[in-house]
Amino acid sequence: MTEVFVNMGQISSFKTQGILTTVGLGSCIGVTMYDAVAKVGVMGHIFLPKSRAKDSSAPPGKYADTGIPAMIDEAVKLGARKSRLQAKMAGGANLFPNLSANSTSIGQQNIEAVTGHLDKHGIAIIGKDVAGGHGRKMRFFVDSGIVTVTAIGKEAVEI
Amino acid sequence: MNEVKLDFLKELANIGTGHATTALSQMLSGRLFQLVVPDAQMLPFSQAAEYVGGSEQVVVGIFVVVSGDVKGHMAFLLPLDSALVLLRLLIGDDSGEIDDLARSALQELGNIMITSYLNALSKMTDLLMAPSVPGVAVDMAGAVWESVLAGAQVTNEVTVIRTEFFADGESIEGNIIFLPDDDDFEKIARLLGLEDV
Repeated sequence: MTEVFVNMGQISSFKTQGILTTVGLGSCIGVTMYDAVAKVGVMGHIFLPKSRAKDSSAPPGKYADTGIPAMIDEAVKLGARKSRLQAKMAGGANLFPNLSANSTSIGQQNIEAVTGHLDKHGIAIIGKDVAGGHGRKMRFFVDSGIVTVTAIGKEAVEI
Repeated sequence: MNEVKLDFLKELANIGTGHATTALSQMLSGRLFQLVVPDAQMLPFSQAAEYVGGSEQVVVGIFVVVSGDVKGHMAFLLPLDSALVLLRLLIGDDSGEIDDLARSALQELGNIMITSYLNALSKMTDLLMAPSVPGVAVDMAGAVWESVLAGAQVTNEVTVIRTEFFADGESIEGNIIFLPDDDDFEKIARLLGLEDV
């Protein structure tokens, strides 16, 4: 099966089958959206919570506020129905906790932003593995909708 | 970013890593330490993890916030193998694992390297650059990297200085990343006589 790696700021998708993978999620969030009926799957790799004017040429997938709508558009374009989309998310870790002792970590801000934007679009989050202090690898099998998350030195776990 | 800016960063890195290497050599009680010509590259941020050995490769990342007249962030990333060589030379740890003691040794090492790098730049420019206590992470390169870039709010490209040290005939690879905030980068450049970067 074809496997595509989704780098920071990118959005990739498959219809029917294929594997969408993101390796090395730290404070970033890997988000998947799936329409089980149309078998359409989209993955985004969100870098920061909010888009900024001075980075206006950025791909929409880089920021949560532009990334979530762009992922929905992509899914719909491939034949998904917005009302059937369900989401899963992983990441939002804080690898350097002593550096953000007096503020909300970027990871936490990302979790809140992604959750908020999914909620605004009425998309349920049916699986997640977020926060903590370690990096993650996320794989999304579009034929089945299965999403697994792996931490270094650990077995993959389905979410 | 243009060529002039990249050359300028390379020059800063030469000076900074020169001092950092001296500090490291002193820490390793006089073992001859040799620094190989640093290679500087400007990378689109989404590809930066590949440059430090691939997203899934385990690396040690030491990360500080810089405050003072120049604000920004600085990181020192080493492949796990190199970190283990350093630990053996530094504390005689041959276990091949990074436990709490090893982690604090790496934190101290990063602290000394980063402080001596910044001190060299401070002296040249008369600008205060004070590092915070370093954070240390041992994790997938991609995860460490994006956390560094997100922490520094780098959104476009990043300049990575690759260095290679030799101690007792063993090679130690490291990547030093200095990420001054945009305005402060210009401040340094102006003081060092570069008008247009």
